[in-house]
Amino acid sequence: MTQPASPDAPPIQAQGLSKTYKVGFWFNRTVRALQGLDLEVGAGQIYGLLGPNGAGKSTTIKILMNLVRPTHGSAHLFGQPVTSAATRRLVGFLPENPSPYEYLTGREFVTLAGHLSGLTRHELDQRVTEVLGAVELGSAEKLQIRRYSKGMVQRVALAQALVGKPKMLILDEPTSGLDPVGRRQMRDLILAERDRGTTVLFCSHIIPDVEALCDRLAVLVGGRRVREGSVQELLSAQVPTMEMVVEGLKVDQVKGLGVALESALALDGRVLVQVADADSQRLLGSVLTAGGRVNRMQPARFSLEQLFMDALKESGRATSVGGEINT
Amino acid sequence: MSAFGAMVWNGFREARRNRVTVVVGAFAAVVMLSSTLVTEVTVATFDRVLTDFGLGMMSLILVFLTIFLSSGLLSREIERRTIFLIVSKPVSRTQFLLARLAGNMLTLALLMVAMMLIFDSQLLLFGAKITSTQYVAAAGLWFELLVLSSAGILFSSFAGPMVSAVCTTGLYFAGHLAGDLLDIARRAESETVQELTQALYYLLPNLERLNFRSHAAYDLPVDVTTFASSAGYAVAWAMVFTAISLFIFERRDFR
Repeated sequence: MTQPASPDAPPIQAQGLSKTYKVGFWFNRTVRALQGLDLEVGAGQIYGLLGPNGAGKSTTIKILMNLVRPTHGSAHLFGQPVTSAATRRLVGFLPENPSPYEYLTGREFVTLAGHLSGLTRHELDQRVTEVLGAVELGSAEKLQIRRYSKGMVQRVALAQALVGKPKMLILDEPTSGLDPVGRRQMRDLILAERDRGTTVLFCSHIIPDVEALCDRLAVLVGGRRVREGSVQELLSAQVPTMEMVVEGLKVDQVKGLGVALESALALDGRVLVQVADADSQRLLGSVLTAGGRVNRMQPARFSLEQLFMDALKESGRATSVGGEINT
Repeated sequence: MSAFGAMVWNGFREARRNRVTVVVGAFAAVVMLSSTLVTEVTVATFDRVLTDFGLGMMSLILVFLTIFLSSGLLSREIERRTIFLIVSKPVSRTQFLLARLAGNMLTLALLMVAMMLIFDSQLLLFGAKITSTQYVAAAGLWFELLVLSSAGILFSSFAGPMVSAVCTTGLYFAGHLAGDLLDIARRAESETVQELTQALYYLLPNLERLNFRSHAAYDLPVDVTTFASSAGYAVAWAMVFTAISLFIFERRDFR
């Protein structure tokens, strides 16, 4: 018999998750969307899944929400298998490009979600008003969803995820397609939920969102996890790099100085150079000896974008790609 | 309201706000009211023609609506991805599917009640007799719609709305001709044809078992046992179709 979900158990535990889709008219081709993914998300964290299109982010989330069955591996939410309906009482879910029932008004839709989340009639009305207010849809609650803008649809979908007072939110590309104001509001709402103690798992390919929100993250490429850790850990693990602006020398001359460069870019009569910190003094000396000048030298700012691009390069995938296709 | 009740109510609300349902409902009202026209072509069999026309129209319109509503019930939810927001709640897929079926049947039942009210007021207007067999015929029709709805949902669990609608329509006609298959089996000389037609007869629901319209037109009594066995037969078929739908639906990936 299935045990009730425990709010004290780790919100997400997944081991060896793999998913292979059969595609084509005769289902004779396979697409490996996920390959042996391990994932553990602790309580109260904002955990991000970062990756290019087809990296397996949405498949992971769909497995956790029991929308897709894994080919191999197991996944648990709050200590219970994801197939247990009762477990989802503790989870709020916002899918990518959500599609609520358009014939309902915002209020009717969130009320339906409240009923399905197990709220009693007594608490429902107040809670629906509360969440519609939180997503700033109070004035549009009586409008049919078919009349909503994309941003409003995203917000009503977030309201339905919040209505059941979840212990964990699972958000698939929550800021995708939103204008800058909408993105900011969505980010603020996610942070407010974290401050209330809600665990948040979200996936995105918008790096600034991940950088701004996440405590920990995993980078997925081609269905595999290629990096995992806290944002600080991951950034500090990058090789320290210096950035220099060289004048008086051409880009080829700088490249010919015999110092290994990470990059050299001609820029309006100047050369923008990135070099490992350990080689920076040697490059400085060489530039001066060759008759050039260095008018600026500073540590390069490490970014998730660099980390992400490095991870893609290491995986042999310089561009965003889908899952592996086998015929 | 329970989660199941909320989903049933939502199914009803969806059908009520669907333009097709509204148009079909209005059309049904017009057709039922226009039964006055058929009274012009009869003298002696006034009651019979009025009953036959009224119940026949009711059947035609409700069968059309059933095929329209049920054949896209699951596939539309999956295509539009509205299902993501529902099955990610603490409800099982079985509950979801049964609630969709129940919502559909509630819609059809309420439309049928409305159509019966118009039908009865027509009979009263023309001084024709209202009989209990007319209600038995309407109840038989509701059980037929149950079989068709569950078949539509079954097709909808693995195919798109168009294919589901074609298959459900095919089943409707085949189901009404199922009795003829048994006749063919009895009269055929070839043993293979006999076995084949007999097998087909048992593989298809015999929808004529649920048709009591001629009893109503001729005011012939339908005994309780006959009706109960027909209703049981319909429920059994609906259960078979629903069980297969659940088997498929529970295993489906929603990509």
